[in-house]
Amino acid sequence: MLDFNLNLSATADPSELYDVIIIGGGPAGLTAGLYAARYKLKTLMMEKEMVPGGQLIATQWVENYPGFPEPVLGQKLAKDMEEQAKLFGLEIMREDVESVQLSGEIKEVKTPYNTWKAKTILIATGSSPRKLGLADEAKYAGNGVSYCATCDGPFYPDKVVAVVGGGNSAFEEALFIAKYARKLYLIHRSDSFTADSILQERVKAEPKIELIPNTVVESLAFAENPRHLMIKNIVSNKESKLTVDGIFIFIGSIPNTGLFDGQLELENGYIKSYPDNATSIEGVWVAGDVQEKKLRQVATAVGDGANAAHAINSYLLHRQA
Amino acid sequence: MPILDDKVMQEVKKALEKMQKPVTLELFSQSFECGYCKETHQLLEELSAANPLLSMKLHQFESDADAVKQFGIDKIPAIAVIGEKDYGIRFYGIPAGYEFSSLLSAILLVSTGIYKLTTETKAFLDNLKKPVHLQIFVTPTCPYCPPAVMLAHQMAFYSEKVKADMVEISEFPHLAQKYSVQGVPRTTINEKWFVEGAAPEAMLIAKIKESL
Ligand SMILES: Cc1cc2nc3c(=O)[nH]c(=O)nc-3n(C[C@H](O)[C@H](O)[C@H](O)COP(=O)(O)OP(=O)(O)OC[C@H]3O[C@@H](n4cnc5c(N)ncnc54)[C@H](O)[C@@H]3O)c2cc1C
Repeated sequence: MLDFNLNLSATADPSELYDVIIIGGGPAGLTAGLYAARYKLKTLMMEKEMVPGGQLIATQWVENYPGFPEPVLGQKLAKDMEEQAKLFGLEIMREDVESVQLSGEIKEVKTPYNTWKAKTILIATGSSPRKLGLADEAKYAGNGVSYCATCDGPFYPDKVVAVVGGGNSAFEEALFIAKYARKLYLIHRSDSFTADSILQERVKAEPKIELIPNTVVESLAFAENPRHLMIKNIVSNKESKLTVDGIFIFIGSIPNTGLFDGQLELENGYIKSYPDNATSIEGVWVAGDVQEKKLRQVATAVGDGANAAHAINSYLLHRQA
Repeated sequence: MPILDDKVMQEVKKALEKMQKPVTLELFSQSFECGYCKETHQLLEELSAANPLLSMKLHQFESDADAVKQFGIDKIPAIAVIGEKDYGIRFYGIPAGYEFSSLLSAILLVSTGIYKLTTETKAFLDNLKKPVHLQIFVTPTCPYCPPAVMLAHQMAFYSEKVKADMVEISEFPHLAQKYSVQGVPRTTINEKWFVEGAAPEAMLIAKIKESL
């Protein structure tokens, strides 16, 4: 059965002054957008990707978001969140925010095409996959190196792949990739894994997956035939060659804070938040993975988004009065 | 049974209300040895019923040699999106899944003439001397692919020197082999140069410059 997905950018008016501009359309931004639009705030969302949903788009199954006793596809959850927000009138512009001016009464958001103005800003830019930092890693991204199992897993039917990481994402996505691949090496730099034990059990029960603990990837030899990795056991210091067709990297994420450098207070590299998701600048709020907090999940992102939208609504009401 | 369900059809109708000038979807198809010709045909029939400014014209790939030559078609199913003129906008393989947005965007682009390119891109295209053929390899399930396709189509719309094809790679395995595609989107410039991923505008332009 074929499906047809329609995601066209809104055509908003850059001469308007918006009540709130939400930067980023992941779970945090979409929830804030739903609330803000439902409060009848003049709301605009900036999302650089064609399809909103953030990291959900790159996630196969979500099984710990309440309300879905059966695991739900990340892309399906994203689409439903988007639709629900649009029902209340949320407008989503497909533009990549390049710079922001956060101080003062009127904030500015610049994209390659327009400068947008708003009374308040909600930052929900989330995080991006952390890179291993190997030479040639960028060169082979999309051609042997991947950070997205849903996107690239199907390109490895009957192939041999390595997955790097020891957390929930690595274990979950490895189980998905193992459906396609003939053989999967799960490489982790220690012998203790942070993945939930329910996932560890499933991985250990999967015959195609072989765990390679205490090991780091030293280099990619993808120009050679056959393609391989150089790996090193950090206990024995022994180096070896591992023949693979591709490598998937799930070693955590880094917050997308580049836009706000020098303007906002950070903490541990994340945006520092104050009560009600406020930031160090008046009129600017933060929600989701980009915010300093302990647990970065869909369930916490949507909570942040709702909180922030509520705070923004109260702020605007007070400002009017 | 319709290929587009009611909900999608409503969205399509609403999106196409923005159309200004007529657009013809020239479809190249054949009744045998073609994975998605039938479905693509049905899709275009339903689409062209959604707005009076949108129409479809069917050509037989194996017998309609003149049209095949005129539109430069080399594989099927193929769609040429034609407005006041032929801007070099093509779809090879069915534009389903996320690529449906690329098809609707191409129709609106050709019909309204509204595009989004930076001043730098336009300046580069204005001075382009050599022809540029962009092929964007995609799959219908790739959410990061439509921006690459839309960017290429807008460049084709803007410049007479640029031609841009969406290529749904799972329907053309020999091309996946030939260009060793291991991830999508993948943009090919003049058959030889590659850009992996949905490259931002400036990066694609830089790569095109390098290739010329
Ligand atoms: C592989 C994987 C599996 C996961 N599995 C689960 C799971 O099973 N359960 C769970 O609860 N969580 C899971 N997570 C974590 C969860 O996806 C995140 O916690 C959640 O998506 C955070 O939401 P967010 O809205 O804060 O940010 P994100 O989802 O990162 O969204 C941020 C959005 O902002 C946009 N953006 C960024 N910068 C700009 C800019 N300059 N201009 C315009 N737009 C911009 C991005 O394109 C993106 O769409 C997983 C994550 C990954 C990577």
